[in-house]
Formats: sequence, C-alpha cells, structure tokens
Amino acid sequence: MLTFLPYTFKSLWRHRTRSLLTISGAGVALLVFCFVGSVQHGLFALTENQEAGRSLIVFQENRFCPQSSKLPQDYASTIAKQSGVADAMPIMVFTNNCRASLDAIVFQGMATDLLMKWRKLALQSGSWDGFARQDDAALVGKAVAARRKLKVGDKFTIGDITVAVAGIFAADNAADEGLIYTHLDFLQRARGLSDVGMVTQIEVHLNDGANADAVAKAIDEEFHAGPVATTTRTKGMFQADTLSDLAELIGFIHYLGFACVGLVLSLVATTTVMSVQDRIKEHAVLQTLGFRPRRIFGLVITESVVLSVLGGGLGVIGGMLFLAWSDMSVAAEGVTIAFRPSWDIAMQGAIASLGVGFLAGLAPGWQAAQAKIVTALRHA
Amino acid sequence: MSLVEVVDVSKEFKSGEETIRPLDGVHLTIEEGDFVSLMGASGSGKSTLLNLVAGIDEVNSGHIFVGDTDITELNRGKLADWRAANIGYVFQTHNLIPVLTAYENVELPLLLLPMTASERAKRVEIAMAAVDLTNRAGHYPRQMSGGQEQRVGIARAIVANPTVVVADEPTGSLDDDTTEQILSLLQRVNRELGMTLLMVTHDADAAQRATRQLRLERGQLVENGKPILPRALRTA
Ligand SMILES: Nc1ncnc2c1ncn2[C@@H]1O[C@H](COP(=O)(O)OP(=O)(O)OP(=O)(O)O)[C@@H](O)[C@H]1O
Ligand SMILES: [Mg+2]
Repeated sequence: MLTFLPYTFKSLWRHRTRSLLTISGAGVALLVFCFVGSVQHGLFALTENQEAGRSLIVFQENRFCPQSSKLPQDYASTIAKQSGVADAMPIMVFTNNCRASLDAIVFQGMATDLLMKWRKLALQSGSWDGFARQDDAALVGKAVAARRKLKVGDKFTIGDITVAVAGIFAADNAADEGLIYTHLDFLQRARGLSDVGMVTQIEVHLNDGANADAVAKAIDEEFHAGPVATTTRTKGMFQADTLSDLAELIGFIHYLGFACVGLVLSLVATTTVMSVQDRIKEHAVLQTLGFRPRRIFGLVITESVVLSVLGGGLGVIGGMLFLAWSDMSVAAEGVTIAFRPSWDIAMQGAIASLGVGFLAGLAPGWQAAQAKIVTALRHA
Repeated sequence: MSLVEVVDVSKEFKSGEETIRPLDGVHLTIEEGDFVSLMGASGSGKSTLLNLVAGIDEVNSGHIFVGDTDITELNRGKLADWRAANIGYVFQTHNLIPVLTAYENVELPLLLLPMTASERAKRVEIAMAAVDLTNRAGHYPRQMSGGQEQRVGIARAIVANPTVVVADEPTGSLDDDTTEQILSLLQRVNRELGMTLLMVTHDADAAQRATRQLRLERGQLVENGKPILPRALRTA
C-alpha cells in the first residue's frame, strides 16, 4: 500500500483547500477532545489515586466551603490516639473564591514537619530553610506560580492575606501544584483572632491494614457529643463530594468528547465521499490498468486515514502543548482539579483519529471498489 | 493456437422494457502480431466487444480465451491481476491520472507487477523513448497537448509488454496531423515491437493502417465482406 502513498498525497494536495479545511476541522475537534479528556483525567486523579483511599479528611458536620468549617485544632491529638491512625494533621484552608473558578487561589496552612512528611514536594526554586525562617513564607505550586507569574522573593496578596514566596514546587499529584502552602499559625492569624486554635479540617493518615470506613466512623462517634460534630470521609470521597456539582458537569462534558469524534467522522467522511465522486472515472481507469477492487478500497481508506490522522495528530499535539503551557486548573470549595497533558490522552486521541479515518473511508471505499468499470468510464 | 479466441459471445443491455443485444454470437480469432481494426456504425457494439476482450466487462454468454486463459471464468480480483499483466488499454480521451507526471503515469501499471525498481525504470525509459517523449517525463497531463497526452497513454499501454493492446478510437479527439502521428506510432508498436493490437475506429483511412479490417454489423463480425463463422474452435 505504501507504494501508492505519494499518489494519495498528490490527490489530497490537488484539492488542498478542501483537504486543509478538513484537516483543520479534525484538528480543532481533537484539540477539544484532548482538553475534555484532561479535565476528566484531572477529576479521576483526585478521586482514584492511592492516597485518596488511604487518608481521611475530618470536616465540620454539614459544612462545605472551607471558610465555614471550624474544628478545634486539638481534635488532632485525640484523633492521633485512635487505633489505625498513623498521623493526624490539622490544616487551615483558605480560598479567595468558594465557587467553581478557573483562577481560585487555595491556601493550606500546616505544620512544616507534617508538610515535609506527607506532601511529596520537589522544590524547583527557593528552599525549605527560607520557608521555615519566615512567618509569612509560602510554598507556591508551579501551576499557580506560572498562572500568576510568581517567583521566589515576590510578595503576593489575595484579599487580606499577603505572603512572601519562599519556594516554587512540583508535586507527584498535579492538583497539588495548584495550591499554596503556608505556616498553620500564619493562616490562622491572618483571618482575625477568632480563628486561633481552630482549623478547617484534619487530614488523617492511616496505618497499613487499617479499615478506612471503620476509622472514619470511630472519629465521628468520638466527637458526636463534643463542641463541634464532624463528618469524616476518605480523601477521595471528600474531594468527590466537594466537587460533586463540577463532577456532574464534567461527566456531561464527556459527551462533548464523543461529539468531537463524531464531528471528525462526518467531516472526513464527507470529504472522502466528495473525493470518490470526483474520481469515479479515475478509479475506473486504475481498475482498467489492473488495480484490484480491494486496492481501490485501500486507496480510499488510506486517503481518509491520512486526512484524519494528520488533522487529529495536529489537534493532539496542539492540545498537549496548550495543556502543558496553560497550567490550567479549576477549583471549587478549596479543592482543585488540574488539567494536565498525558500520554494516555494523547494515545486516546491518536487511536480515535486512526479509527475514525478508517470508519470514514469504509462506505466511500466500498462504493469506489464496487463501481462497474465500463459504466464509470462513461462518466464525464 | 490463436492468441485471442472469442467464442460465440453475446452481450445484451436492458434499459427498462427494452433489451438491446449489440453482440449476438460473435466469433473472432486474433493471431499473435495481428493489428486488427474494428469499424461499424455508431452504437453497433464496437466498444462493447473491445471491453470484453480487455476484461473490463462481462459477457452474457460465450467464452473469451487469451493465451491459455478463459477470462470469462475469472473473478473480479483475478481478472484485475490478469489485466495488469496482459492488457494495455489506450483510451479515446487519454485518461491520464492528472496528479501524476508523464513518467509516473507510464510507471503506474508496473507498480502492480513483481519487478525491481531498476527494471521498472528501464522499462519506463524504453516506453517513453518509443513514443518520443523522454523530454516530457516530468510534465503533468495539463501541461501537454492532446497528441502528447495520447502518446503517454500509448506508452502506459505498452510499458508492461502486454499480450494485447486495445485502443478505442485512439485518434477520435485529435486533429489530422496528430492523428497521423498516433497511427504511425501504433503501426510501429505493431511492426517493431511485435505487439498484437485491436483498434476500434470510425475512420476508414485509419482502419487501412491495420493488417486486418473487421466490421461489426447487426451483432456479428464481418471480414472481407464475409461473416466470421465459428472455426474449429475450442469449446468451454
Ligand atoms: N451500460 C450500458 N447500458 C445500456 N446500454 C448500453 C450500455 N453500454 C452500451 N450500451 C448500448 O449498447 C450499444 C453498443 O454500445 P457501444 O458503446 O459498444 O457502441 P459503439 O459501437 O462503440 O458506438 P460508438 O461508435 O458510438 O462508440 C449501444 O446501443 C449502447 O447504447
Ligand atoms: Mg464506442
């Protein structure tokens, strides 16, 4: 089949306007496909990853936005004594925007030793020392830093909170790169004296083999009669609950991904049908020269696959570059979803393009292969 | 044994209620090295017969042997392979592939045959030289005159060294001078390259260039004023 690839390219080039329009249409559709894929991927990453099931989040009962959840900080020491619990870390969360937003800033204040122990941060610039030395120091996720153009030494103000950037970090978990970590007491004081001694949530790390549900239940029972009742869920559940509105929307966006693939299918199929109709006589001539019907079929399929793969490939590359460059994320109620490029999505896009190209060529290819030579030769 | 034997071939077309039968029990033998011209009224079935011999149309009844092969027995795929190796087809309207250069057009049929690249190049060179178009190898069909296009068409038809070259009104859309050129070329293909030709034409002068002149009349072939009757032919 490769022998005739130059012929395929020349035929596409002959109708270059049509071909380029089709390729660009397929490209845009696949770009959207990749974007949709990465949004979903980001959501899955939050709820499905290892850590999501092996740690718990204790929140004030019936509260959703981090601003409204207030737990006494000393709950942590009570929780730490429970069986199955490896560590309990009090965290203060502050966000400038509780609603879903593409540019929400989320601060998490926690003790430095716990931060170093439980968050696998790799500093790209700045230092832990610099962070430890300064009260108002902050470690900024690289996605936020890129979005807000921050570097070490900068002062950064959101609402009535001003921090000094002491480091920029990358994390295993892309969503963490949308966070800003500060000292716990700094964030407690920053919002006024009423918050001293209070935290938003307590993150509980479980021992190996501990039953997450049982521990969660025990914690809630412990505080049931206390000053503040709690709701404890696995981190994955907590994030899924917090993002449930967004998740629904993202689930719906899923169909947009399918629609993109459908769009490419109809676009490439239309172009291929037109190309076959333009060349009824040419295909008959090829058959006269001794091209088998199967080879004609193959030529048509090759043409539609080339169109679809060229367009889809450009779309996938464009989508990956855009995702890598934009560092986009969406946050709601203090939880962020990162939109990152991934090989998975690129592969899905590439396979979708290939499959669609093949499907789009089937009907016109069949039509071209079945044409009767003498009838087609009489075609103007 | 004759090179081509057409045995009791009939072909009919149905259009609505009406059935027309342009070929009604046609017999024909062509020997190797023959240059056969075929004349007849418009609509008498000349192209139909030529297309049957070329293996691009199917008979309703009868058999066509070319060499040892009864081509009426071949399926579509096998028939295509057979055409690639055995038939050179010269069209009235040239029918070159517009996106390919003269060279590439001539090379196209060879890509279907088992052959090394250097063997292929050699054959294309020879065919291009035979039609005297070596200096136009890189030209596209739209950059050539009708006569040049037809010469490329002839080069494409002879390049694979086919068993039979068929030509359906090869000069039908050319002016007198060019017609003369093309006819001489076909004559040379026959005499110098020893190829067997079957040519349909409307032009009596053109027909005279052939070694045998046939007419198609009322569904039967006539040669030298006498109908061609079944000889001691092969039967299926
Ligand atoms: N596909 C077809 N369907 C219906 N009728 C057909 C078809 N092909 C040919 N015919 C009819 O068969 C007859 C013979 O056609 P053919 O093309 O062989 O004639 P011809 O001798 O080549 O004529 P011309 O000199 O005009 O080329 C004509 O009456 C034509 O209308
Ligand atoms: Mg005709």
